[in-house]
Amino acid sequence: MTLATFRLELRRDRMLTFWLGVIAFAYAGTMAAFFPLMKDNLSLIDEYMEILPREFLVAFGMTGSLADPGVFFTTYVGSYVWPIVAALAGILLATRPVAADSDRGFLDLPLSTPMSRTRYLSVSIVGQVLVMVVLAVAMMIGVVVVGALVDAGLDGGRMLLVTPSAVVFGCAIAGIATLLSVVTLSRGIAGGLTAGIVIGMYLLNVVAQLQTDLEWVAQLSLFHYFDTTAIIDDGAMPWADIAVHAIVAAVTWALALVLFRRRDLAA
Amino acid sequence: MTKVIEAVGLTKWYGKRRGILEVDFHVVEGEVFGFLGPNGAGKTTTIRLLLGLLQPTSGSSNLFGIDSWTHASEAHRKVSYLGSDPGYLGDLSAGAQLDYLATLRGLQKGSWRPIAERLELDPSVAVKKLSRGNRQKIGVVQAFMGHEPLVILDEPTSGLDPLMQRIFLALLAEARAGGRTIFLSSHNLPEVERSCDRVGIIREGRLIEISTVQALLSEHWRSVNLVLGEMPPPGTFDIPGVEVASASARDVHLMVQGDVNPLLGVLAGLVVRDISITTPEVEDIFLRYYDGSQGAPFGAHLGGSTSERPEPTATAGAKPTARAGAEPATETELTAEAPDRVPEEAVR
Repeated sequence: MTLATFRLELRRDRMLTFWLGVIAFAYAGTMAAFFPLMKDNLSLIDEYMEILPREFLVAFGMTGSLADPGVFFTTYVGSYVWPIVAALAGILLATRPVAADSDRGFLDLPLSTPMSRTRYLSVSIVGQVLVMVVLAVAMMIGVVVVGALVDAGLDGGRMLLVTPSAVVFGCAIAGIATLLSVVTLSRGIAGGLTAGIVIGMYLLNVVAQLQTDLEWVAQLSLFHYFDTTAIIDDGAMPWADIAVHAIVAAVTWALALVLFRRRDLAA
Repeated sequence: MTKVIEAVGLTKWYGKRRGILEVDFHVVEGEVFGFLGPNGAGKTTTIRLLLGLLQPTSGSSNLFGIDSWTHASEAHRKVSYLGSDPGYLGDLSAGAQLDYLATLRGLQKGSWRPIAERLELDPSVAVKKLSRGNRQKIGVVQAFMGHEPLVILDEPTSGLDPLMQRIFLALLAEARAGGRTIFLSSHNLPEVERSCDRVGIIREGRLIEISTVQALLSEHWRSVNLVLGEMPPPGTFDIPGVEVASASARDVHLMVQGDVNPLLGVLAGLVVRDISITTPEVEDIFLRYYDGSQGAPFGAHLGGSTSERPEPTATAGAKPTARAGAEPATETELTAEAPDRVPEEAVR
């Protein structure tokens, strides 16, 4: 029963996963291909960056030299394409099993069988984790493989260290979307709210870096705990940050499961 | 007899919006129970409460003695359900989805094939390419592919052509012969009349009647359709036991209880072009319940007491208080007329 539902879940996930994976791989690979060009023209790039306002640089994670692999990755991948890919995947996957399937009338079919609500949603959550892993791996392989092909001088091992952080960051977004999906039973509302929360947390993180008296608000942002620059430059796994994302994901998914068990599923 | 479905004081409010109110009934093993009501009456709410998809505001329901809400998935082991508008996944084929649902219900993959063949359903086509009727066939196949002892059907034949409806009725009869209990919510009155042992009628969230179909088609009632040569003078049909159901110029539809001779005596003095006297169709009876402006049995409309009507067959499974939810018809209700009809006063 669980296996059948999991197979169906994967079957329904595959196109979204494939295309988002292609986007993550291609974009990350393209950026890796540009890295040698960036290093070779560092003085020109630095000159260019000096004319940009600090707020702009902070907003895109450019908090150092773009010749630095960590800053480069964070600027173009970690704080740009991955949050977008993770948010899209998280929202689309997490709002489907309850909110979207309730809207289209599919939810009644499995839930009128011996399949319990908890098991049904749990299978979906496992699917969300799996998709996040696939997407994060696709992105990092794009960086590592293309980086090696163009001899970018990127440390493949350190790049791959980003993968667990990227996965749990995506899972935290998916957890929030799952919870909102169960609460609202509306894909549109849950997706919109999740997107708003992600954007809001991104802005909180930026504001905290610009206003020293508001530094504390960064702690409210998932982005604060997703510092890929430090991972790549120092080569250390940020276990505390990973734990924060994992806790957010676990708590939101657990709440979603509890609420879903007691949720009215109106026609 | 084992109670397969039991609802006790089942009530559901959606915030301030009424769902169903104090619904009491039970369905016994092997019975085919029809559930009738207009749109918004509470049929689907009742079914969703029975399936544990909704939590009751008060009261309870259970299937095979298992609480529908707290132990829903356990109860579902014995239930096959077809919703009114199941949302099959458009990109998957009918066969893939039937296999999925069969697996969830502990059935073999492909166990649906014999019924799909009877219904001429092509299982290889993606659902999004199927017509509404063909999608409904998937639902019928799904409902009958297993051997669960209880089958709950919510508007199962909407969208099916007459031939497929006939096959559906045959499947229903086979399920019944196999001892399965069936709860059938439907607008299709002939279908209910043909297949059901008992019928519950719900209106505005209240179960207003539980009876056998035969009792509803009470032999004491006759439907008399007249085509007169000229418009009758007012008060012509003001006869005890006769009610003007509708009147339009020279066409008059009367409901007659008991002896028809007083009416025939009156008709002898009129120019009658055509006359037919029949047992009322079940639809006529149900429409009386559905119509909020009337909402009382024929007897009430004739000025008689509703108690003149035989009490519902409580011994057949209905609770003796089955009619308790029905509000007594008021004087206004008894004389209210549909606006597109000639006032009865013009005929009487």
